[in-house]
Order: sequence, then C-alpha cells, then structure tokens
Amino acid sequence: MFQQSQAAATTPAVAETATWQPQIVALICNWCTYAGADSAGTARRSYPASVRAVRVPCTGRVDPLLIVKAFEQGADGVLVSGCHPGDCHYVQGNMVARRRFTVFRALMDFLGLDNRRLHFAWISASEGAKWSRAVDEVTTAVRAAGPLRDWGRTGARRSAVRLPAVPAAPRSAPSADDQRAVGGHLQRLAATLLTEGRVSVVIGYTPGSLPAQMVPAFVTRPEDAPALGWSDRCVNNLSVYLPGAVRQWGKVALVAKRCDVNGVVGLLQESQIARDDVVVIGVACPGVQDDGGLALKCHACGGDAPPHADWTVTPGGAEPGAHPSGASGAVAADPRDALVTYLESLPAEDRWAYWQDQFSSCLRCYACRAVCPLCYCAVCVAEKNRPQWIPVNIEGKANMTWNIARALHLSGRCGGCDECARDCPADVRLDLLNHRLSREIEQRFGYRSGADPAVAPPLATFRPDDPQEFIR
Amino acid sequence: MSEGAMASATRLTPDELHGWLAGMLGDKRVLAAVDEDGLRVFRSVERADQIALPTGKTRWSPKEFLFARTETLFAYSVAGNEVTLDGAPVESAEQVLVGVRPCDAAGFLRLDAIFLDGDADSLYASHRVRTTVVTVACDEAGPECFCTAVGGSPASDKGSDVHLTRVADGWLVRPVTAKGDRLTASLAGVGRAPSPEEHAEAETQSTRVAGHIRQSAIAREWAAILESRFHLPLWETLGRRCVGCGICTYVCPSCSCFDVTDTGSASCGERCRSWDSCTFAAFTRHASGHNPRATQAARYRQRVLHKFSYFPLGHDGESMCVGCGRCVQLCPVGLNVRETVQAVVAAAADGHDAGG
Repeated sequence: MFQQSQAAATTPAVAETATWQPQIVALICNWCTYAGADSAGTARRSYPASVRAVRVPCTGRVDPLLIVKAFEQGADGVLVSGCHPGDCHYVQGNMVARRRFTVFRALMDFLGLDNRRLHFAWISASEGAKWSRAVDEVTTAVRAAGPLRDWGRTGARRSAVRLPAVPAAPRSAPSADDQRAVGGHLQRLAATLLTEGRVSVVIGYTPGSLPAQMVPAFVTRPEDAPALGWSDRCVNNLSVYLPGAVRQWGKVALVAKRCDVNGVVGLLQESQIARDDVVVIGVACPGVQDDGGLALKCHACGGDAPPHADWTVTPGGAEPGAHPSGASGAVAADPRDALVTYLESLPAEDRWAYWQDQFSSCLRCYACRAVCPLCYCAVCVAEKNRPQWIPVNIEGKANMTWNIARALHLSGRCGGCDECARDCPADVRLDLLNHRLSREIEQRFGYRSGADPAVAPPLATFRPDDPQEFIR
Repeated sequence: MSEGAMASATRLTPDELHGWLAGMLGDKRVLAAVDEDGLRVFRSVERADQIALPTGKTRWSPKEFLFARTETLFAYSVAGNEVTLDGAPVESAEQVLVGVRPCDAAGFLRLDAIFLDGDADSLYASHRVRTTVVTVACDEAGPECFCTAVGGSPASDKGSDVHLTRVADGWLVRPVTAKGDRLTASLAGVGRAPSPEEHAEAETQSTRVAGHIRQSAIAREWAAILESRFHLPLWETLGRRCVGCGICTYVCPSCSCFDVTDTGSASCGERCRSWDSCTFAAFTRHASGHNPRATQAARYRQRVLHKFSYFPLGHDGESMCVGCGRCVQLCPVGLNVRETVQAVVAAAADGHDAGG
C-alpha cells in the first residue's frame, strides 16, 4: 500500500499533462459510506473517477497517520467519510474519531496545508446521492488547489517569514540567596527521605560542566544529597525519567517545577506510574533561563507552588503537601500565544513555506521524543517497520511525516514544558506546534493538560455534541 | 607551524578574499556557513553576498557533504521482464567547503580513516575526491571546546587544503595541499606577502585561543585503560541520565554509523543509507528482541569507548573525538564525554578493577 517511490514515480508525470486529474484517497467506513458509494454505483450515479477508495472498518480506525501517508505517497487530496454520529456500527467509533479529526485538521491548517485538500463527511448507506455530490465537490476543490508538489523538502531555508520579537521578560532573575536557600532545603529534604527509607532515589539537579549549567542528578544515598542544587538553569523536565526510575528503584522522589508536574499528571493519567510510586517535591519556580533569557513558557507563569506535590519547597523552607495559592498569578501574556496568532495571521501558503523550512532542517535525532515525559512508548511509531510508517530517510517527506506524527501523538497530552523545542538542535519550533494544539483542545473540548490525574485525556473520550462544523 | 609553511601565505584584504571566494561560484558548488534565523549551518550558496567567514562554529559539523544524512545506494525498476538497476546518482561538480573550523577538518580525517582505509567506500570516496576544504583558524573558543585535549589545535591545518587566519584588517591565505594550490592559483598577483607583524599576530592569536581552552589532555595511553574498564560499575552512574536521543552522534564531526533501508514495490524501489546512532535502542536490537546493549548507560559507554578507546587502539592512539564540544554543548542533559573519560580513568587509578 505505501510504496513511496511508486507514487513519486507516477504523480509528476500525471500532473504534467493538460488533462490532469487529482488523485484523491478516500478513507471510508465499511458500514455506511462504503455502502453509500455502492448504492451510488447501483443507482448509476456518475461522479469523477478521481477517488481511490480505501475501505476501513470504522472512521474510528482512521489514524490521522493514514491521511498523512496518503499525502506523503502523492495524493493531492484526502476525503474521510463514515457513519453519522449515533449510527456507528461500533456505537462510538466515529465520535472518538471526530475529536481526532478536529485536532488533525487544526494542525494541518496551522501548518498551512491548503484546506481544499482535506475533507470529512458523514455519509450513510442510503446516501448515494450525497456520496456522488461529495466526490464531485471534493474533486472540484482539489482540482482548484492543483497538484500537491511540495510535501516536505530538504535544504536551505527559503521562507521570508520571521517570527516577531518576544516581549521583554516580565521579571528579573531570582536572587542568588533565594536560589541557594531552595537548594539547601532540597538537600535536607532529600537526605531525610533517603534516610527514612521513604524513597530509594531522589531525582534532582546538580551543577553541570558548562558555566551555570544544571543537569539531572540521581541521588541514592543520603550522604550524596549535598550534590543537589537549585537555580534558574534547572531547565530539564525530570519527569521524563519517572517510569524507568520506578522500574529500577521502586519509590522515587522527583524535584518538579509547576510545568514538570504536568508530565507527572500525564503519566498518572495514562497509568504509567502509580501515585504511591512517586514523591513529588514541588519547587515554587520563578522561571528558568534558556539561551534566549527567560523561557517563553515562564512569561505567563506566576511562579506559583506546583499542585499535586507531596512537598513544597520555597526559599522559606520545605513543607509537606501542595500549596498552590490558586491565584492565577499570571504576570504577563504567554508569548507563545502571540507567536501562534502571528503565524495564523499569515496567508496559508506562507505558513506552509515556514513549516516546510522548519522541518527541512530536522536531523531526526529524536531528541524531541527522548526528552518528552509523555513519549514513553516502548516501541515508537518511528521504529515500526511493517509497514514503515515513518520513512527512515532523513529528508523532506519523511521529516514531514515524523513531525506531524509527533505533534499529533502529543496533542491533548502535552504539558507545555517545551523541552522538545529547547533541545532541538535544528531549532524547529515544536513549542508552537504543541501550543497551537493545546489551544485547540482547550477551546474545543475545555480541557487543560496537567489539571487532574483522574480525568480521561481528551482524545480518549468524546461528547455526543462535540463541534463538527467542518464535517459535510 | 613552520616558518617555511608560513612563507607561502598570502595576505589579502577582506575585499580580495571575498573576490577570491566569489570567483569560485559558478563552476564549483560553494558550501559556506549561513545564518538562518539563528541556526548557523553549512549550506550551498549561490550568491557572493551569502559567503561570510563567521566566527564560532556551526550548529552541526559539515560532514553531511561527504557523508550525507541519506543517500541512495542503488535503485531498481521492473517493466515486464526487464529489470533495470541504477547505481547511486553520480555527482561530479567540484565542491568547496569554505570556513571550516580546524576541529571539523580533523573530523574529515577521521571519516577518511573510517571510509577509505582498506576497501574504500566508493560513495564517500566519490564525494571526498571532489571536495576542497578551506579552513579558518579559530579566533575564539567556546566553553565547550576541547580540541587541544585530543591532539588538535584551534590553528591546526590538518585536514585542510587551504588555511585562513584572520589578522588585523585582513587574512592570511595559505595553501596546504595540491588541491589547495589549485584553488589558490587564481590569487596570482593578488594580495601581498604577510608582514612579520602579521605572522606574529597569527601566532599570538593561536596561542591566545588555545590558552582559552583550559581542558586537560586526554592521554593516548588511556585508550587501553578505558577498554580494560568496560565492566566498571561507574559506567552505569555516568550514563544514567542519558535520555537516548541522537544529538551527540548527528552533530559529531566523526560519527559515521548508518542504517541501510529498502523502500519499494514489485515494480520499483531503492536502497538507501541514512545516519544512525549508537545511542538509539534500536541500533543493536536483534530481530529476536534481545538487545546486547540493554541499557541506555551501555549505549552511552559504547559511544565513549568508540571515540576514546576502540578507534584509538586501531589508529596509533589517535582519538576519534576531535574536541569540537558540540555534544557537550547540545546534550539535553549535559553529558560531557571528556569528563566521563576522566572519571573512568580516575576510578581506574584509584585501584578500581575491571569490576563484574
């Protein structure tokens, strides 16, 4: 099915002829739309022969990666169609799929894909007329969009799009005394937890080899606790180590900032760790510095003490329990909002060029995956090779597929720690992709990551009245 | 640097240098460090105004122009009973890498040893023979730099075809190889002989920058010590925080591992090789599921030992690492190969035996 070179070999040749016909892949469910298409045929309805139908058991089976693969292999447009909500053969498959499509569509729109190429429909077995009309309309739209020739490219950046400057940091660095005080409290607390046998390891920060650098540290003996420290360079989200550390050591104490706790909550939500496995040492963090100054994620964070903590450490001391003030504490706008809004204000083709540029530099080192607490899969989709979902080649098309898959897999799960973007050696703005999708999910489904470990992740559930204005 | 070598240098003004570089455009593919919205990397440049000789190193090494991220080994197509086999696409255009740092040029020599010694890798060889390397002596060193600890120097011309040194108001240009002679032939009658002051300035700069790199040397004899401490439990502690991304290997001037994959159908397809990384779990995972490098710490040990033990033991003690420091600077969790090596050697000196 997925033969890259085959599609690559045929598409341009077809596209060059004056009688170019768009190639449209239709992913249609067995129970409704497939039967609907069949009834259109039986009724001798005519519609363009541009659609290649792929029968799936249910739209709930349609991983957006199937759509991505269709584009990667040379499709000019994709139509996904299934049963109307309420009519699903499997009761709710299409309603779970609807949320997935909502997010996928938002991502592709943000990337700047011409929205004439991507279509969704509910077409029942009795709606042969709707099927032929849908194919007609989709074909017209894709034909107007023309052949899709620039799905992923490699080489120098070409886009003229430059993101606007970020406003100055809303606050100055915390005082050295405060940082030292927090470090001291962390050392004493770690020593106590280890001495009393409440945990077998404390994962915190220790000075690294570069100036001012702080790096992850695993302390297993009370006498090593003085190695721990704290500063505004404690950038890592240490929850990435949690599942492995729990397997290795059992009880784990974890030093966590407000944003890191979102990772802990995500791991709890998805049953990767148990609440009893981890002692969360929440630090009231006034913001961390990355190369460009105060990290973007910190602008809008008031430095409140983290929720869900078992201990709360402030310059004043270490106290048991979580002590978030509950006040919003927002001190400034989130600059990621402004950057996302700016990109959305551009014409789609400019956005497309911008993201093609971004992905063209991707080295596929998978640092984005390695540092993400929610990327815990034992076998990543990038390693699945029957079929080869993500091509191994480090070039444009494969980079597109990887980056889209990564963003989608984190949607509704990403806690916004931005570690992926901080570590990306090619400076791909993964933070903006994640932020855009988090915004979509908040607006559409009223869900925010990291709030409640007991709540189902938004893409694992649905509401019958979820918005569906984009589905014909 | 010998006096004789310096004698053949030419002193150019910035304009003369630029003119020389611009003259290469057209008949050669010119690769230079380009700033792309904060990301400095080597790119193919088309216009003279794109050629700059920057200070500081590029985000990753320019090895991709000799050993591409992905390249086709062969392609096939089937039509009826006819099978057509196409070899790797042959590129013949001469390419010039302009503004290469000495550490990256040293990296090319390591790649040469890996790909050309014995049965030469024909693809690598075809890229290498058509490549001319113009190096620039470093006029600054970052906190991550440690070339001097592994036998390099910020002013080294090893691996270079033409070596440039920045002096006040100009440049010293010195061909190092026959390739370099050909590339600088167009400079006949351009520029002037450097003054003694300019020679002295170049020497001072070299000493000054080397002085900034205050990293103690990694001794050649450590290669054997490291190998004998393969089982040292300390490796587990040292590599514990490695998260298993491939940044260190992909930005490295001398990492050269690749994966070979086939894509295709009954009618056409191709075999490619793409960069791969020993830090990935899948790098050594067997089809059975068994992984001889079962832990991330074991994978980190592999990378360190390949650079500082296995390669040197087969190459007269020469470290595979060239000390560019990129892996130190870009590691998400601040791993430092130099410190790791020192820690293992120190543990060995403290009398820790080879362990279990």
